Amino acid sequence: MVTYYKKTNGEGVQVEDTRIAVIMVGLPARGKSLIAQKVVRYLAWLSISAKAFNVGSYRRADTPQPTADFFDTTNTDGERLRHAAAEAAVADMIKWFNNDYGVVAILDATNSTKARRRWVKQRCDANNIETLYVESKCDQEELIMSNIMEVKTTSPDYKGQDPEAAAKDFRNRIRNYEKVYQTIDEDEKDLTYVKLIDVGGQVIINQIKDYLQSRVVYYLMNLHIKPRSIWLSRHGESNFNLEGKIGGDADISVRGEMYAKALPDLVASSVAPDQKLTIWTSTLKRTIQTARFLAASPKGYDKLEWKALDELDSGVCDGLTYQEIADRYPEDFRARDDDKYNYRYRGGESYRDVVIRLEPIIMELERSENIIIVTHQAVLRCIYAYYMNVPQEQSPWMEVPLHTLIKLTPRAYSTEEVRFKGNIPAVSTFRTKGSTAKHQ
Amino acid sequence: MDTLLTADVAANSPRYRRKSSTFVDAIHDMPETGELAPAQLYSTESGRLFHSGRIAIATVGLPARGKTHVSVALARYLRWLGVKTRVFHLGDYRREHVGDGKDVPDDYFFVNASASTVLLRQKILKKCRDDIYHFLNHENGQIAIYDAVNPLAAGRRSLAREFGKHDVETLFIESACDDEKIIEENVRSVKISSPDYVGWSADDAVKHYLARMSAKIPHFETMEETDLNYIKMINAGERISVNNCSFGYLSHRIVFYLLNLHIKSRHTYFARAGTSKQEDSFKTDTSLSEEGKEYANKMGETLIRHREKERQAMVDRGGPNVPLKMLTVWTSTRRRTVETSQYLYENGYRVRQRSQMSQLNPGVCEKKSERRIRLEYPEEVAKHEADPYHHRYPRAESYHDLAVRLEPIILELEREQNDLLIIAHESVLRVLYGYLMACNATDIPSLSFPRNEIIEIIPASYNNEATRITIPGIQEKLIPSSPEDIKIPVPPSGAVTPMGLDSSTPKRNTGSPLNGVATPSEPGDGQQLLIERALRGDR
Repeated sequence: MVTYYKKTNGEGVQVEDTRIAVIMVGLPARGKSLIAQKVVRYLAWLSISAKAFNVGSYRRADTPQPTADFFDTTNTDGERLRHAAAEAAVADMIKWFNNDYGVVAILDATNSTKARRRWVKQRCDANNIETLYVESKCDQEELIMSNIMEVKTTSPDYKGQDPEAAAKDFRNRIRNYEKVYQTIDEDEKDLTYVKLIDVGGQVIINQIKDYLQSRVVYYLMNLHIKPRSIWLSRHGESNFNLEGKIGGDADISVRGEMYAKALPDLVASSVAPDQKLTIWTSTLKRTIQTARFLAASPKGYDKLEWKALDELDSGVCDGLTYQEIADRYPEDFRARDDDKYNYRYRGGESYRDVVIRLEPIIMELERSENIIIVTHQAVLRCIYAYYMNVPQEQSPWMEVPLHTLIKLTPRAYSTEEVRFKGNIPAVSTFRTKGSTAKHQ
Repeated sequence: MDTLLTADVAANSPRYRRKSSTFVDAIHDMPETGELAPAQLYSTESGRLFHSGRIAIATVGLPARGKTHVSVALARYLRWLGVKTRVFHLGDYRREHVGDGKDVPDDYFFVNASASTVLLRQKILKKCRDDIYHFLNHENGQIAIYDAVNPLAAGRRSLAREFGKHDVETLFIESACDDEKIIEENVRSVKISSPDYVGWSADDAVKHYLARMSAKIPHFETMEETDLNYIKMINAGERISVNNCSFGYLSHRIVFYLLNLHIKSRHTYFARAGTSKQEDSFKTDTSLSEEGKEYANKMGETLIRHREKERQAMVDRGGPNVPLKMLTVWTSTRRRTVETSQYLYENGYRVRQRSQMSQLNPGVCEKKSERRIRLEYPEEVAKHEADPYHHRYPRAESYHDLAVRLEPIILELEREQNDLLIIAHESVLRVLYGYLMACNATDIPSLSFPRNEIIEIIPASYNNEATRITIPGIQEKLIPSSPEDIKIPVPPSGAVTPMGLDSSTPKRNTGSPLNGVATPSEPGDGQQLLIERALRGDR
C-alpha cells in the first residue's frame, strides 16, 4: 500500500522526507559559526525546522576556557576531549533528527581532516541523513584579522580575558589547526559539498542531490562574512497614521517631515564617517519622502527603490481605520487576530505572503554591506524577524515605533541591536490583539 | 461578446494572443509588454526586476554539450519569474543568412577559414548582436541569452568588454562534458530536432555533427579567466564551479536553477486524478469512487502500453533496442491522486507524494455552484473575470499563489532524470503545463485536461512538444473538468458556461488544452452537465 503520511512544514518552501546535515569545514576565524547561525535563521524564517550544533559549546562543558595547547594535535588529552565533544554533538544531532522531525541540522565545527569528515558521513549514512559539507576557505589576511577581533570580544572561550592575550592565544590555536587541516579535494569527490573560496569569490559545488540542498547552496552563495550593519527605519509619521487609517499612499505629516530632516544626523551618529551606505526605500511616497534628506546629504549615498518593500497590501481594507474594518468585516477582523501571520486580507496579503516576496530582498541584503532600509511596519517586522530570529506567532505583534532608527549588526553568535530615538513625537500605530483603538 | 469573436479576432486579441495552439511551446515567442509572468512577484515601470541591471548570458562549450538546452531551459525559468529574457541562437542567424536547405561553407567553423567565410561569419555575428542590443536597449529586455560556442578566451574577453561598453554585464555559462554517453545522447537528440538537419539522413547528420565537433576540439579553451564572471557546469551538473566577480541577485538565482538542471532528455506525462466519492468537497479528503478506480486502472494500462509501443516503434525505425527509461510517478498528498497511482504502484513503479502539489484552495467557493457564487459574490466574480490568473476568491488561492507555491516542484521537475508521470488536480496540471510550454499567465486558468487523455511532453533542445494519448473506454461523464474547477475559474463574461469557452476559441478541433476540445462537443451538452452540477451543488 501507498502510505499517506508525509510531513509538511507550512506553505512556504516545503520539504518532504529529506533530512540534511550541513557539516561546516574550515579553520577557525573563517566565519563558520556566522554562516551556521545565518542558515538556521534563514530556514526557520521559511518555516523549515533547522538547528545548529556547535561542537565548541559541547567541549566547553568540560573545558570552558582552554588555552591554545589544548588544540595541539599532539596533546592526547585535548584530542580525546575534543573527540568526545564531537561525538556528543553528532549524537544529539541524530537524536534531534529522529525525535523532533528535524529537517536541516548544522554541525558547526572545524571538521578539518578527511578522516573526521568520513566519520561524520558514516554516522549520518547509518541514520539516512544526507550530508552537505560546506567549506569556508579564506586566505585574505584582513578578513581573518577582523574575525579574530570579533571572536576575542564575543566568544565565550575568551570571556573576561585580556583582549590582546586572547587574540594571541586564538592565533596560536589557529596555527595548531593549520598543522592538520586538509581542504576538500578530489579524494572526496563522492561527497556532496560546497567550497566557498575567499567569501564566495569562487564557489565549487559538487554532487548536489536534491532541491533543499540546492536551496541551502543558493543561500550560502549570497552570504559574505565581512563586518557590516543594517539600519531599519519606518517612514516618518504619515497623514494616514494621524487619521488611524491603514495602507494607502499618503504624504508624511509635519512631524514626519521633521523626522525626515533629523534622519541624516541620526544616521551619522551611528555610521563611521568613511563608511559607505546605501539607502533602500519602498516605492510609496512616505518612505521616499522620509529618505530624501538622507539621500541628498553630501555623503553621496546611493539610493534604490524596491517594489518588494511596499507595505503589506491590505486589499479591501486599504484606507480604512481598524474600527471601520471591525464594523465592516467583523469576521475578518477576528480571524486576523487569531492567526495574524497567516491571515490574508481580502484581495490583499498575509505576513506569510510578504515573507515570500521579500526573499529577493533578503538575498540582496546578504550580498550587500551597509544598508539603511526605510520601509513600513509589516515589512520591517518581517525583516527584523529574519535577523533576530523572532518566531512567527510573535513577529506580527512586535512593536516598532515611528521615528526610531534600529541598527542591527550580525555577529558570529547573535545579532546585536541598538535603537536610536529621533525624539520627535508621533502617534502610535501599534495595535494590541482585539483592540480597534485609533492610537494607543 | 465571446460569441462575436471570430477566429481572427481571437488570435489577435491580447487574451488569445497565442497564434499557435498551447500545444506548441511558446518559449521563442515574446510575451506582450505589460503582461505579468506566471510566477512574477511584482512589476516595475522599467520592466526590469531585482535592480539586477541588464545581463548578457553567453554560453560556452563544444557542440552537443547541451548549450541550447541550457539556454532554453534558463529562459523558461527566468520568464516564469517575470524577467524579460530572450534567447538568441547564433545558429538561427546562420540558417537565416544562408537560406533554407543550404549549408554554410565547409570551413565555416574552422579557425583558419577563408577570407570570404570570415566575412560571412562576421556579418552573421553582427546581425545577432544588433538584435541583442535592440532587445536590451529598446524593448525593455533584461536578459539576453547568446547561444553560441564562444570557444576562445580572447574572444570571450572581448565579448565581455563589448557588452560592458553598452552597460551590460556578461555572465558566461560553460557546459563542459567528458562523459561520452551524455555527448552521444545529446548528438542523437540534437540531430533529430535541430533545424540544421531538416531533410538530412540520420547517419549523415551524425557524421557531419561529429566532424564539426572534431574540427572544433583543437581550438577550444575551457574557462579559466578569473577576471570574468562564469559558471562552469561539468558533466550535466555533477559539479558546478562558479567564478564570481560581480554577481547580482539574478546571477545567484541562475546558479540555483542550474544546480537543479540536467541535460538528459526525458518525457513528462500529465494525467488527472480519478473522481472521488465526494467530488465537490475540498476539505474532506475522500477516496476514489468506483468509477474513479476504473479510470485509474485504464489510465495506468494505457500509459504502460503507450510507452512499450513507442519503444517498439523506435526499434522498428532502426533505433537501439534498449530498455525504457524508468518511470517515476508523482502525486499530491491527497487521497484521490495517491489512489489514482495505485495501479502503477502495484506494477512496480515508484510513486512519490509531494505536498506542494495539492490543488488550488477554493476558499469560500467550496461546495458552491457557479450560480450561487455569482449570486453571493457578484463583485468577486467580476474581478475574477477581469483577471482569472491573479484574482483570488475570499480565503482561496489564485493561480499565481499556486505557481509560487509550486516553485520547489518546478525545480525538482528539472532535476528528475527518469520519465515522469504527474497525477494531480487539474489546477496543478495547468500551472506545471504552463511552465513547460511557456504559456501566458492569462491562458493558464483555461487550459483543459480532459480525463480521457494523458498529455505527453516531449523535450527537445529547441522547444518542447506536447501530444495527447487517448485513454479508451472512459465514461463520458468522467471526461470534463471536475465540478470544483467549474466553480473556481468562472468563465469570461458573456460565456454561458465554462464549456462555452471552447465554442468561442479558435481552432477548437486542433486539440489544445486551451480550447478544451474534449469537453462535450455540443454546447448543449455542456450546459446540461453544468445544470446537473449546479443542482447537485445546491442541494
